[in-house]
Amino acid sequence: MAGPAMALVAEDIHKSFGSLEVLKGISLSARDGDVISIIGSSGSGKSTFLRCVNFLETPDRGRIVVGGEEVRVKAGRNGRSVGADQAQIDHLRSRLGMVFQSFNLWSHMTVLQNVMEGPVHVLRQAKAEVRDKAMAILESVGIAEKLSAYPSELSGGQQQRVAIARALCMDPQVLLFDEPTSALDPELVGEVLKVMRDLAEAGRTMIVVTHEMGFAREVSDETVFLHDGRIEEQAPPAELFGHPKSERCRQFLASSL
Amino acid sequence: MDWDLIEESWPVLVAAIPDTVALATSSLALGFVLAIGIAVLRLSENRIAWAFAYGYVYIFRSTPLLVQLFLIYYGSGQFRPFFEDMGLWVFLREPWFCAILALTLNTAAYTSEIIRGGIQSVPWGQLEAARACGMSGSLLFRRIVFPIAIRQALPGYGNEIILMVKATSLASTITLLEVTGEAKKIIAATWSPVEVFIIAGAIYLTINFIVTRAVLWTEIKLSPQLYRDRPSWFARLKGGVQGPVQAINDQVH
Repeated sequence: MAGPAMALVAEDIHKSFGSLEVLKGISLSARDGDVISIIGSSGSGKSTFLRCVNFLETPDRGRIVVGGEEVRVKAGRNGRSVGADQAQIDHLRSRLGMVFQSFNLWSHMTVLQNVMEGPVHVLRQAKAEVRDKAMAILESVGIAEKLSAYPSELSGGQQQRVAIARALCMDPQVLLFDEPTSALDPELVGEVLKVMRDLAEAGRTMIVVTHEMGFAREVSDETVFLHDGRIEEQAPPAELFGHPKSERCRQFLASSL
Repeated sequence: MDWDLIEESWPVLVAAIPDTVALATSSLALGFVLAIGIAVLRLSENRIAWAFAYGYVYIFRSTPLLVQLFLIYYGSGQFRPFFEDMGLWVFLREPWFCAILALTLNTAAYTSEIIRGGIQSVPWGQLEAARACGMSGSLLFRRIVFPIAIRQALPGYGNEIILMVKATSLASTITLLEVTGEAKKIIAATWSPVEVFIIAGAIYLTINFIVTRAVLWTEIKLSPQLYRDRPSWFARLKGGVQGPVQAINDQVH
């Protein structure tokens, strides 16, 4: 097959919490370099889908393939699937960088330690090299002067940029963003979006769950509108924002633009 | 006040300090290791493991240390043939061993609860971030859970260290001549409890002064950001400097 390789394939992902079916069969794939934005109202399943991709939630049904390697599952209770091999899941997670809504930096480590932790202790890379790489990445996200600060000493925007640096330092195949600007004060949103734009321009493969319509429209290659656990509409942003086909997508865009 | 007696007893009690310190440090060290295991069992989803840890903590926290000490020291003597068969009598006949065993088992119960509280206070999001970058099992516990838990638990654990230093005095009831044991021996000969116990009290005071300083130093070392260029907690409470309370006051007025 011509063109860039598949970085991530999710096929027919189902997930229920108790009797509530949150995901009703979602399939999505990203080629290397794709930036895919996922939009939709609260409760549509956006975050749950993203969390299923790296098995922070185990999908009840469906396949996840990361860079050609499929996550092995086995049948668990109630016929739902569970991860078959925790070591494989851990390995695949280390290739998927995750950025959370609430940053989730490790509070007992400095900025530099946060960024170096994964490469040194999970990937077992040499400390000196990781340090150089971490400093370069922190520089690129504009946090170079705060190396020895602790998370509690940073603003939300700074914390989120460190969290992005932490994900980047693992050299991930795909970056997953779970509403990365939703917990930020309005004046801090811009600095984080700028970093994300730079990453997109640098050719990073990104899947971004977001409420930032401007970002979804201008930066992504593909926009996915999720409604009630299904993909309601999927198209390049110009098309989806310009001529939404479904009524629900039209309503959602009208209310959020 | 019999100053001559004070002058005479002082060096004797000081000479017993190493015994008191040895009792406290060895049982605290062993108890801490045991406590981590019990705390992990207590948090386990396995009901048998949970029940064992719960029962252990319940029994050792709810009975007096003195009773535990007597049961181990005198109680083992009652079953001497049994312990001889097990090859344990060589240990149990030693008051030193019995004292350290009782203190260890006792502090492990309290410490496991302190550690459990620390572990449960680790923010969920920080665990998810660790799992999301591929950590699991022992690496996650060693690098994320335990370091955060220990920072939360340290002030409470400082308390436990102090209590243990004082609890070593109970070892004097099973013939050990640590600080309190020596003091009792001198009192039995002189009938002057005030002079001798004042010296003993001063010794415990000094040891625990060092302990509190060491715990504070460790707290600062582990969480420097909490002590760096920050106004004191009381200064912030009084609103002398801009802090949360001041900010609320500003909004109200």
